[in-house]
Amino acid sequence: MKRAERRALYGTGKAYWRKLGLDIVKNKWLYIMLIPGVLYFLVFKYLPMWGVIIAFEDYSPFLGPLKSAWKGIYWFQRFFATRKWQDYLSNTLILSFMNIILTFPAPIILALMLNEIRSLGFKKVTQTLLYVPHFISIVIVVSITYVIFGADGIIYKLTTRMLGHSIDYLGDPGVFRWMIVFQNIWKETGWGTIIFLAALTNVDTQLYEAAMIDGANRAQRLWHVTLPAIRSTIVLMLVLRMGSVLDTGYEHLILMSNSLNRSVSQTLDVFVYQNGIVNGQYSYTTAVGLMKSLVSVIMVVSANKVAHALGEEGLY
Amino acid sequence: MRKIIVICLALLVLGMSTAMAAEDMTLNVMLPDFYSDSDWVTLEAGNPVLQAIYEATGVKLNVTWVPNSGYAEMTSLTMADPKNMPEVMVIQGPRDAITISSARAGAFWDLTDYIPQYEHLAQGQQSTYDNTSIDGRIYGIYRARAYARAGIYYRNDYAAKAGIEKVPANVDEFKALCMALAGLDNMYAINMCKYVTGTIGITTVMFGAPYQYGIDADGKVYPAFEDAKFQEGLDFLRDLYAAGGIDPNFMTIESGNWDDAERVDPPKALMRLDCLDNGYRYEEWLEANSGVDPEHPAVTLLTAIPNSEGKIQIWPQNTGASGEIVITKAVPESKLQAVLAFLDWCNTEEGQTLLNCGLQDKTYWIHEDGFRYTYPEGEMENSNQYDIYTRTVQHSLNQLGMNVNGDLTPPMAQNILRVQYNQNLIDNAQYVIANPCLTFDSETNTLMGATLNTDVEDAQVQYIAGKIDMNGLKAAYQDWYDMGGEMILAEYQAAYDASK
Repeated sequence: MKRAERRALYGTGKAYWRKLGLDIVKNKWLYIMLIPGVLYFLVFKYLPMWGVIIAFEDYSPFLGPLKSAWKGIYWFQRFFATRKWQDYLSNTLILSFMNIILTFPAPIILALMLNEIRSLGFKKVTQTLLYVPHFISIVIVVSITYVIFGADGIIYKLTTRMLGHSIDYLGDPGVFRWMIVFQNIWKETGWGTIIFLAALTNVDTQLYEAAMIDGANRAQRLWHVTLPAIRSTIVLMLVLRMGSVLDTGYEHLILMSNSLNRSVSQTLDVFVYQNGIVNGQYSYTTAVGLMKSLVSVIMVVSANKVAHALGEEGLY
Repeated sequence: MRKIIVICLALLVLGMSTAMAAEDMTLNVMLPDFYSDSDWVTLEAGNPVLQAIYEATGVKLNVTWVPNSGYAEMTSLTMADPKNMPEVMVIQGPRDAITISSARAGAFWDLTDYIPQYEHLAQGQQSTYDNTSIDGRIYGIYRARAYARAGIYYRNDYAAKAGIEKVPANVDEFKALCMALAGLDNMYAINMCKYVTGTIGITTVMFGAPYQYGIDADGKVYPAFEDAKFQEGLDFLRDLYAAGGIDPNFMTIESGNWDDAERVDPPKALMRLDCLDNGYRYEEWLEANSGVDPEHPAVTLLTAIPNSEGKIQIWPQNTGASGEIVITKAVPESKLQAVLAFLDWCNTEEGQTLLNCGLQDKTYWIHEDGFRYTYPEGEMENSNQYDIYTRTVQHSLNQLGMNVNGDLTPPMAQNILRVQYNQNLIDNAQYVIANPCLTFDSETNTLMGATLNTDVEDAQVQYIAGKIDMNGLKAAYQDWYDMGGEMILAEYQAAYDASK
């Protein structure tokens, strides 16, 4: 709703509050039902947010956030003075966008393929099998990768035979990001189809029939009927993904990183984990984390703007 | 009805009186766990070792086990939550940033003035206490470890196959041995893994480089990697790697799987630069699994060999200690003396034996030859039913042991290598070098040292693996200087000049 519309409906100032009060009295049960949700967000989401104050202090757990020495923007300056911050940021961005560009379309394509399967029994079995990798811990996925891509692994030996030279799947910095993306696709594509398959069931079958009468072949039906029908779902999912675009996660990267590929595996998340959790530099890493969140917020807002510009509903 | 009430009252009075008589104290301790896959039996569930400790001291131990691989993280997280700290805990890195900042913020009791008051704690080495001190104050009781543990061990049977029967007497012969081993089919010379600090450190120090930092003739502090001897050691590893003497994927092998390449028949790697305890353990494994004759060990321990200039140096496996045991402020002042008395008792013969070996005829046995064994007389050594029970009741309680007054546990039977190892510890202590800046204070090193060192070590690994050349290595060293190394050197230099 545009601000002008809202004003026209509820008025401004006192009139607005009076109207809201009347609304609450009228729909009191609805508002009472809202209370647990509001409380949840206040207590678990907004209240802990005051903790970011330690990003501006020299925080010591033994003094607490109120008594720790105030440092202002010292930690931010320090981070930008390390020169490595560009590496961390670019590693994060490159990996994130590779992930989005390559892993985001995969479940859509898979869902469309599943949608075209005629045999219901076969479809059900395939779907179930596709969900399995999602429930495998990333630790196991990485272990499997080590076994088949390591020096004794079948794929390593196979490609060495075929290409005549060996590819260092686990150490080469150039291969690292592709391995991460490949693992993500393997693990999450099947699970990601759920929401798109749900959207596909809502497509009006009459549209297909009409298209068929007009002489549209399968590909044309897919392009002109199916895809437009799930377009808003796709855009919504994409906007949601943009919010977590900088969350590369650390456990996956730490498991896959070693001395040879550290130049590309060090992302902001890994940096925060290693310096914050392992080395205990809480203030420094909170500052870095805060900056990362800021970039994420900017990304969601701009992705939403783009969605609106394209005529979609977007997130809000 | 009245009868029941009387009985209840009687029971209540009885219960109270016994509790008061024993002067119980419950102590929450956090220890690293090496057997996290084994069950653990608490005192209430009938753990005989904890029961024995309780009977001897009145202390009920309440142990929080943390898997050793995640102990550093858990230490850091524990410090982040001062209200729920254990009362006594092991600190594995006494000079880590998190330990120093926590100690300064008052997380631990300052024990400097208490230690001399306790009979056994006072017997510890002052120099080792000083190595773990922060701002000149001692916050923990160190866990004693021998200095001269680092060295080389290799399979002499395969060395003979490669044509070298003689044990190397100097660094040049050691190099020749490595190259000869690299020539064997399907076998690597040096067994390496992700943890390269030891391999690089042992090599470069043996070649003549300083440990971490050096001080030159003009009294200037410089990082060890600038030393020509350090580069010589690195170049040797690079050449060996190029000659196929090191597993090309060594940097992806977790340190927990380090043994895999040697504990197979035939072995995939024939030599390792590590703590030499692993050398005699390897020999014992070979005797149990590969039918090696105990009279003719297949493993040779090699340490303290002169470099090209005749100088003998040994890499310090530790600073004479493996971490320390601290008393946190979760212990009120009124309880502090009692906790210290308990830690003092841990160093008595009774305490050391209970923590390290457990109970006689339950977790260890004294055989007719007078030595301590982990199984009863006349049983097969390979039967691990006793190990399982020992791990269940004992777990890693030895981690609470400090042994600052030496090892007082019943001696174990010695094989040839163990005798040699123990003799080495005594003979070679004089050759172990130390980091001259260990006790100096550097704010920058505390904050960034770990990150900077990882970057330099990564570059060294890439250099060994032939991924970068000398220019790439130089660039990484320059990064070290630019990103904080210069400040560390300046701070150490100031501290060194002040100490003269």
